[in-house]
Formats: sequence, structure tokens, C-alpha cells
Amino acid sequence: MQWLSAAFRRMRMFFSRRDRFDQDIEEEMRLHRDLRAREIEMQGATAQEADYAAQRRFGNTLLLREEIHQDWGLAWIDHLRQDLRYGLRLLRKSPAFTFIVVITLGLGIGANTAIFSVVNAVLLRPLPYSHPEQLLNVFENNLQKGIKASGCSWQDFQQLQQSGIFQSTAGAQRHDLTLTGTGSPAVVTTVVVTPEIFPLLDASPLAGRYFMPADNQPGSAPVVLLSEGVWRSRFGADQKIVGSSIHLDQQAFTVLGIMPAAFRVPVFGSHQEIWIPVAHDPLFGGWIDKRGVHFLRVMARMKPGVALTQVQSEADSISRKLASDFPVENGGWALHLAPLRAAIVGDVKTPLLVLLGAVGLVLLLACVNIANLLLARATLRAREMALRQAFGAKRGRIIRQLLTESLVPGLLGGVLGVVLACLSTRALRLLLPSDVPSTQPVQVDVWVLTFAVVVSMIASIGFGLAPALLAARTGFHTNFKDGAAASGLDVRRLRVRNLLTVAEIALAMVLVAAAGLLVRSLISMTSVDPGFQSTHLLKAEISLPRYQYSTPQQWSAFAETLLDRIHAQPGLRESALAVPLPLADSFVNLPFSLAGQATPATTPPTADYVSITPEYFRVMGIPLLRGRFFTREDSASSQRVAIISESLARLHFRDENPLGKKLVFGFPPDSNVAREIVGVVGNVRDAGLIQEPGPMMYVPFAQGPFWGGELVVKSTLASSAVIDSVREVVHGIDQNLPVTRIGTMSDVLEASVDQPRFRTWLLGAFGLVALLLAAIGVFGVVSYSVASRSREFGIRASLGASPATLGRMILMEGLSLAAIGLGIGLATALGLAHFLKSELYGIASYDPATFLASTAVLLVMVPAACYLPARQAMHADPMIALRYE
Amino acid sequence: MLILRVLARSSDELHGFEIAKSIETLSEDVLRVEEGSLYPALQRMLIKGWVKAEWGMTAENRRARYYRLTAAGRRQLQEEISRFERVMGAVTRVIQTA
Repeated sequence: MQWLSAAFRRMRMFFSRRDRFDQDIEEEMRLHRDLRAREIEMQGATAQEADYAAQRRFGNTLLLREEIHQDWGLAWIDHLRQDLRYGLRLLRKSPAFTFIVVITLGLGIGANTAIFSVVNAVLLRPLPYSHPEQLLNVFENNLQKGIKASGCSWQDFQQLQQSGIFQSTAGAQRHDLTLTGTGSPAVVTTVVVTPEIFPLLDASPLAGRYFMPADNQPGSAPVVLLSEGVWRSRFGADQKIVGSSIHLDQQAFTVLGIMPAAFRVPVFGSHQEIWIPVAHDPLFGGWIDKRGVHFLRVMARMKPGVALTQVQSEADSISRKLASDFPVENGGWALHLAPLRAAIVGDVKTPLLVLLGAVGLVLLLACVNIANLLLARATLRAREMALRQAFGAKRGRIIRQLLTESLVPGLLGGVLGVVLACLSTRALRLLLPSDVPSTQPVQVDVWVLTFAVVVSMIASIGFGLAPALLAARTGFHTNFKDGAAASGLDVRRLRVRNLLTVAEIALAMVLVAAAGLLVRSLISMTSVDPGFQSTHLLKAEISLPRYQYSTPQQWSAFAETLLDRIHAQPGLRESALAVPLPLADSFVNLPFSLAGQATPATTPPTADYVSITPEYFRVMGIPLLRGRFFTREDSASSQRVAIISESLARLHFRDENPLGKKLVFGFPPDSNVAREIVGVVGNVRDAGLIQEPGPMMYVPFAQGPFWGGELVVKSTLASSAVIDSVREVVHGIDQNLPVTRIGTMSDVLEASVDQPRFRTWLLGAFGLVALLLAAIGVFGVVSYSVASRSREFGIRASLGASPATLGRMILMEGLSLAAIGLGIGLATALGLAHFLKSELYGIASYDPATFLASTAVLLVMVPAACYLPARQAMHADPMIALRYE
Repeated sequence: MLILRVLARSSDELHGFEIAKSIETLSEDVLRVEEGSLYPALQRMLIKGWVKAEWGMTAENRRARYYRLTAAGRRQLQEEISRFERVMGAVTRVIQTA
């Protein structure tokens, strides 16, 4: 520990006043000399003699003070200060060089810091709750049906809560309600919760109180919590709002409290406006007694000191008991626990680490490039170094000086980088699934700053080390001899520069190939046929308040009126209603069975369920393969019918004709209705653009109505005109109905690949920067080699070498560097490509076309970069060269 | 070690010149080095925390820095004495057996 306190004393010294310290030493020594002089004087010497003698006995004050400085570590600081000042002066003297270095580094460090800020937010920083490691997400899996990470049924949730294996459990789900009575009707983002969620997430209300278990009892008075945002925007921050009532879906809810702006239930997005208890939700309230409906997202807090594996095994025994007690509903279902962080962060880990790796390579490339530049400058400064050595500077001292000098642009680059990172954090949120940033804000915090500083230091040392080591190896005699162009040192330097250039080309190859793979993958993603035609297709959601429109008859009547009136509008003939709309809404997966067949007790097959009006397939451009579409005659009173997708037909009817067969399925409560198959249509990718289309089954809206739906309109009119007339029609039916989530289906398609597109963009940009940096590197090293060999070219030219020969010589030089670099880069890229595997769609990670194309790009880049220096060599004037001799 | 000895013996705090004088008398003028080297040595001991320094006034009313041994310094002195004795013991044994 002694060194620690000594270090502390040194530190204190570092911050104390230097002149004062020196004065103290000086005074102390003077006293000593004076006293000694007096003593000698008393022995009979003259005052002057005594002074002289005292001084001689004392020794050299200046040297002694130097010694003291050295001991305190002040010499080190002095040198650092000197070197920094010198470094700054050098930078000021060559602004172009400084500009290039600082910008290159700034971009490199900025990109690294920015990506790191995302990694920090999502993967490193703990969740903003107490003991976040105790928080879990509880899913139900049914692996027999291929269902993963589904919600829990209310009954299973109750079972879990009563089992006592957790400290606490809470459930939530989203279901938007219509708020009326305050200005125009609006759909508010509603998260339906169980009361335990608030203590579980350490939430406390801004005003009023949060829900208590009694508020979630069936038959209790409807209550609601407002977010601070809604309270301010819709209720004018009314202080007396708590205790008054508001209207949701035409039902009065008493406001119990206001939650602070930061409060959110994780995984339900960053935009949450109100919260209501499950029992009072018009939809979920009715599902409480349904064991088969797995709708509730459950969060749980483990008891302290309990391991996840232990709780999981306890949960397993609950699942087993449920499955044996309720084989029909719970057969095949099992509770699955996962850390909450994993559920929030989802699958962004790999792409983020890939990006971090890529951006690290870019910085490495930038460093190599600057090292190359510094080496070129080192030639110019060789004489200065020789001079320093001649005056007795030690090798270590010179290395330190040069490293300190490189620290100056390094840190400047770091500052620029942090500024860039701060500016880009907002854009980088696009890297994450939309609801991640709410719990994990992407920002530049202490850790990110530390990262930036460390990275700039490492970068400075990284690009400064090779030039510094080389410079310090200079034998000073060689450098005083002028014109020693082909001296050993220059050859060595050129060799190092060649090596660096090879490394640059290899790095660029890796990044260009990675970017190429992602671009190809994005192209194959966007060229996937979704199964419907998105051109000229608009969509809008109309949701009916369920207290006002409470019966299925009302829903179908509304749909009928709506479509009748819309079809009457000019240009809106092609419109239909559907629930859910592929890609725009989440899919609804329901079990079905073949009528007349003994259903296997535990694992009925499932398909995605869609309720549509007759025009739907025509509007969407989904082809009819067999049978017929729905018609107006398929009404609530006629024979129940269904249309199935090609893949369902293939999976379950193989070579048989499915027409006329009956399927038993339906949206609860119509789950056991037998429906005759009247048609087969093409597959549609409803779950995701890059997910293989699964089996689907359609019912006529009249036979499976919903409280509203998605209106799709195919029209060549301008979208704004279409939307205006749709709004007019809707408000003509009911003044209080909001029309929301308006957009084109092309936008929906685009949005479904937003994240991969953004990642591809980023990596593409990295690849481009890498290419540019490598080009600069090749240009630098080749033109340096040309410049230092001008005499050689002169001689060659005078001996009859044609300009073409000289040019070819230079080009070959560049290409031979490129060949080695490409070889290494290609091998590395192939080796690293498998990390990208999970990112790629529709192509292999070793996709030959991509690798060929990337190689070609670099092979074009190298001659381009060699062009200028080669031209210079071609025009070598023998006279100029020979005049040097 | 000499400096530590001197400071340990003195009940008072001493300034540089006093330390130098004491060393002179202690070693009976045998160990005479450049007097100034006392000061870097004192500074090193300050860094290591063996001595403490404070400014005070001499009898002649001049500002002087007074040094005092710390607990760590006292321990260090003990250690050096015992090490010295070990070495001396070994040397004595070697001389006796020869």
C-alpha cells in the first residue's frame, strides 16, 4: 500500500503550485549555505571566502533541484508538457496534414463511440429497475404446435401467482381504446395491466395512486391511470383530473392517478398513454375465464438468491400439473422463463456486435492510414531526429516524444468523435426494435466517454508506434548525409509502408465484402414476393368502441354500411376490410381440425386466421387457385364457408381436392364452427417478409365479424384524396370514430425491413469509407515510392524505357501489393462471414458473387489510386534526375 | 539511514542544516559528501512518507523547513537497523571463521 500513498503524494504535488515548490527548496538550501558560511566566517575567514567555501561544500544547486524534480516525477511532466507543446506547434505548422488526421480519426472514433453507445445502452447498462437480474419474462411455449414465446392464459397466470415460486408476478397486454369527450375522438395507446406491475417496476405515481388488487376484481368500478404526456396534451394538465371520469370506448373510467413521463411497461413500446386493469378491458376482460387464450405477457421477479434454473424447474412442474389437469387446453404448453433484458433486447445482440466489429475495423484502417502518413513525414523529419540524437536524446525519449506528438491529433480526433457520436445517437435508435430505446435510452454517458477516451489513446499509440520505433532506430550518421535516398532506413520504411498498405487493402476487402453480403441480402429481402400486390394500395384502421358497438351484428352492419358508402365514392371501387392485415398487424394463429376426423387430443394443427370482406383478394391481388372467392351471399345466415391458402391445402390435403371439405375453426367464441372450403388462394407472407408463408385460413367478415378492421383501398387517385373521402365517409356514419394508422402498403413492406435496411446502410457506409481510406493508402505509398525513385526513373528513361513501360512498372507495384492484400482479405472475410449468417437472407455467407464483386471493386480501386503517381513516373525527365548527381 | 537515525535521536524537529551538523558529529566527519545531496534525500523520504516537513522559525528568526520522523519512518529505521545487523553478523561470522 505504500506505493499508493506515495503515488497520492505525487498526485497532490502535480496539482500544487510549481513555482512555490521551487522557491521553498531554494529558500531551504539558501538557509543551509548561509548558516554554513557564518560558521566558516566564525573560524576566521572573510565573508566572501566563507560564502565561496559554503557553496563548494554544498554542491551544484541546479543539479540538486533537477534531481528532486526527477524524484517527484516532475521531469516526466515537464517532458510531457514540452512534447505536447511541440506536437501542437507541428500540427499548426501543417494544417492540411492535421486536418486529414483529425477528420479521419474523428470519423473513426465517432463511429465507434456511437455504435458503442448503443451497445452500452442495450447490452451493458443494467435495466433501470432495482435488482434487474431478478426480473424475468414468462412465456408459454407449445413446441408440439411450433409456438414459441406466446403469452400466458389468465388461468395459467393465476396458477403462477398462487404457486409462490416468485416474489411477485404481473401481467400486461396492449389494446388501444378510443378516448372521447375531450376534443376529437382519438385512439389512445393503452396497456392493460394487472395491479402488481407497478411495485414490480418500482413505479410511483406523479399524483393519485396506482391500481390495487381490488381494482382488478370483476364487478369493481372501471379505473384508469393517465400518463403525464396525455394528462398534459389532452387534459391541459388539469390538477383536479384525479377522481374525475373520462370516456374510453364510450365507457366511463375514473382517473385514479397520473404516472410520470418516464414510466413504461417494458416491451409495449415507448409510446404508452393510459393504463387500465385487465378486468375492465372490453376485450381481455372477457378472456379471463378462457384457458385456451394465451394473451397475457407475464413479468416476474425472482426471490432473492434463487437461480433461474431452479425457478424454471419449479415452473416445469406447474406446467406438467396444468397439462394433466386440463389436457385439452394445456396439453403441450409449457412455461418458459427468460431474463427480462433478453426479452426487451431481443435479437439485436448479434447485429450490434457485428456492427461494432466492423466499425472497429474501420478505425483500425484509419490508424493504419495515419501511420502511413506519419511514416512519409518521418522521412522529412529524419534530420531532426538525427539532430536530437546527436545532442544526446535517448531512444526511449525520442519514442516518447513521437508518441506524445501523435497523442495530440489522437485526442483532438477523440473530441470530434464524441461530438459526432452525440449528434448521431438519435439516428442510431433506428438500430433497435422500436420499444427498446424507451427502457434503454441511447445516450453518451460516462461509460461512453471513457470508451471514447480509451479508444483515442489506443488509436494514437496504434498509429504512432510504428513510425516512432522506426524513427528512433535511425543511426544519426546516415541522415546527415544528404541525398541518401536509397539508404537502408528508407528501404526499411518503404517495407513497413508496403506492409501497412497490404493490411489496408485486406481490411478494406473484409469490410467491402461484409457490406456486399448485407446489400445482397437486403436486395433479396425486398424482392421477396409478399403474396399480394402493394402498388396503389392504401390502408387505414377503423376501430369501433366496444361499449357502443357491442354485438357482432353491429360490427357487420357497420362494415356493410362503410363499404357500401366507400364503393359509391368515385375511384374507390376497389376497397375491402380485413382483420388482421398481413405485415401491418400481428398475425392471429388459431388451431383447426378436419371435420369428421378424430381430432388428436393434444396437438391440433394451426393456421393464421383472417376475416375479410368479399372484395379483399381482388383488392390485394392475391390469386385464386381453385374454387371461388367469397360473395355477398356468404352472410351470417348462410352456410359457413372458408378459403384456405395454397400451403394449407398442400399440408393437409396433399393431392386431394380440398373444395367441399370442412374445417372446424374460428375466432373465439366461434372456435368449434365447421366451415366448408370453397376456394384456395395463393400464399401470403403475413408474419414477416422474410418468414416463409405459413398455412392461412380466411372467413367472410359477415361470418366472423370484428369491432372494426383495416380498410384497404386500391386506387389510382392521390393518397390524400383517398384518405379524405374515407374520413368523410367514416365520420358520416359516426362522428366519433377515429381513422388511424393510415399508410400505403408499400410503406408497410418497407417498414418491415427497416432494421436490416438501416444496418445495411451503416455497414455499406463503413465499406465505402474503408475503400476510400485504402485508396488513399495505396496512393500515398505508390507516390512516395515514385518520388523517392525519381532518379531511377530518370536513368531508366534515358536508357530508353518508354513512358508506358514506366507506368506499367508503377501499376504492377500497386497491383502486387493489392494481390497480397486481397488474398489475405479474402481469406479473412470468408472466415469472418459466418458471423453474419444470422443477418443474411436468401444468400449464403460465402456467396461467391459477392466475394467476386468485392474483389473486382478493390481491383478497380488500386489502379485508380496508382494513376496519378504512375503518370508522374511516366513523365520522368531524364535531365532533372541526372542533374541531381 | 543516517538521516533517519539523526531524526530518531532528536526529540525535536530539525531543519536541514541541523541534520547536516548532527550527521557530521555522529559520523565524526568520516562520511563527508556534498552537503546539498541531503535535500534530494529528504525529498525522497517525503515522497515515501518517512518524514514530515513543516515550516517554522529558527532562533535567528529565519524561515526554515523542519523535518520530523513519521511512524512509517520509524518502522523503516527499525527495518534498516535489523538488516544492517544481519549483514554485520554475517560479516563478523565470516571474519571469525576465517
